[in-house]
Amino acid sequence: MTRKKVKLAFITNDSARKATFKKRKKGLMKKVGELSTLCGIDACAVVYSPYDSQPEVWPDCRGAHRVLAQFKRMPEMEQSKKMVNQESFIRHRISKAADQLKKLNKDNREKEITHLMYQCLTGKGLQGLGVAELNDMGWLLDQNLKDICKRIEGLKKATVEAPGNGAEEKPAPLVLDGAMQRAAPPQQWFTEWMGNSGDNQQGLGVRLGMAEQVAAAVAAAAAAAGRR
Amino acid sequence: MAKKPNMGRQKIKIEKIEVKNHLQVTFSKRRSGLFKKASELCTLCGVEIAIIVFSPAGKVFSFGHPNVESIIDRFLARSTGPNSHDPFHLVEAQRNASVRELNLQLGQILNEVEVERKRGENLDNMRKTNESHYWWEAPVSKLGLEELEQLRDAMEELKKNVSQHANKLMNPSSMFVSNGAGGIFDQSRVNLVREL
Repeated sequence: MTRKKVKLAFITNDSARKATFKKRKKGLMKKVGELSTLCGIDACAVVYSPYDSQPEVWPDCRGAHRVLAQFKRMPEMEQSKKMVNQESFIRHRISKAADQLKKLNKDNREKEITHLMYQCLTGKGLQGLGVAELNDMGWLLDQNLKDICKRIEGLKKATVEAPGNGAEEKPAPLVLDGAMQRAAPPQQWFTEWMGNSGDNQQGLGVRLGMAEQVAAAVAAAAAAAGRR
Repeated sequence: MAKKPNMGRQKIKIEKIEVKNHLQVTFSKRRSGLFKKASELCTLCGVEIAIIVFSPAGKVFSFGHPNVESIIDRFLARSTGPNSHDPFHLVEAQRNASVRELNLQLGQILNEVEVERKRGENLDNMRKTNESHYWWEAPVSKLGLEELEQLRDAMEELKKNVSQHANKLMNPSSMFVSNGAGGIFDQSRVNLVREL
């Protein structure tokens, strides 16, 4: 199977066209046979070409006649319901591709905005962004917040229901979740950073490079730890 | 959600499929692929084809170029040679021209799909890398309570800022640039209106 992409157009070079025809016709017949065997169904194919006075037929003349007779016995409407020609078939392919493209665009847009959102969460400013991006990011933030709040609810309920926790719901910094212990250093620096930018009008609009932020926060965390 | 990776090319034995569900799925996919191959053969080599396929449910699918009926009639009548009785050359020429157009369109859009697909892959890779470095980019289900609360607070803060910023941009006074000579939507005049 060759890997070069073929243009969907009539092959003008005569010998190339003939060679392609031979190969592809053979492949086509093979595929019809496989479909018939795999699915246990009746089928036939008829190919007229300038290279042969007789049409090439699958499975053979008799088999094809049988299937065609079967076809003609069906009511007219049933025959034409799933009947296509080049035009309708290609239109259909175009339509499917257009749908696929739309979905890909939407998915990619979401991925891009997600990336942007994370950048903004960690200090990238909102200045250069257009209304569309801001709106999309707002929507995405809503979606994420919904999921997060749901999960927080779930975890809090588990905390309350855990034995020996008493009636009050403490903020529980070190309760239950093993994941938090793993994350202890990062969650501390996140808090530090949040505290630092609290007086900034734009809140998260502080423009610090990631590395600088980590360094600053780690230093702050170390200092805080030292103070304790 | 990104397209789920399929099972790829599996070698399959050519014999009747036992599981009804697999059989139906296979029929659907392969029939579609078969028609696609037939369409390509017609386009590339300018030949005339008809394919008739009965589905497991008994419905019939057919593909034909220029159309199913004419090929069937030709075959059943066993007339020799191509284009033996076609007084409608003009119609056929017209049809071929529109098919050419459609194929061009199809080629273009398939290219666009490929471009977007690759873009998606790149974005996925970038996200994967980031997920392993930054805890807040991990899926929500993997985060602990405190992390979630911090993330929530940060997001709510960002959301506020985003709304503020968006409102600023959508405010009419920022859309009309003053032309200096006090045009209709001069900045100062709009500000005055707002104050009132």
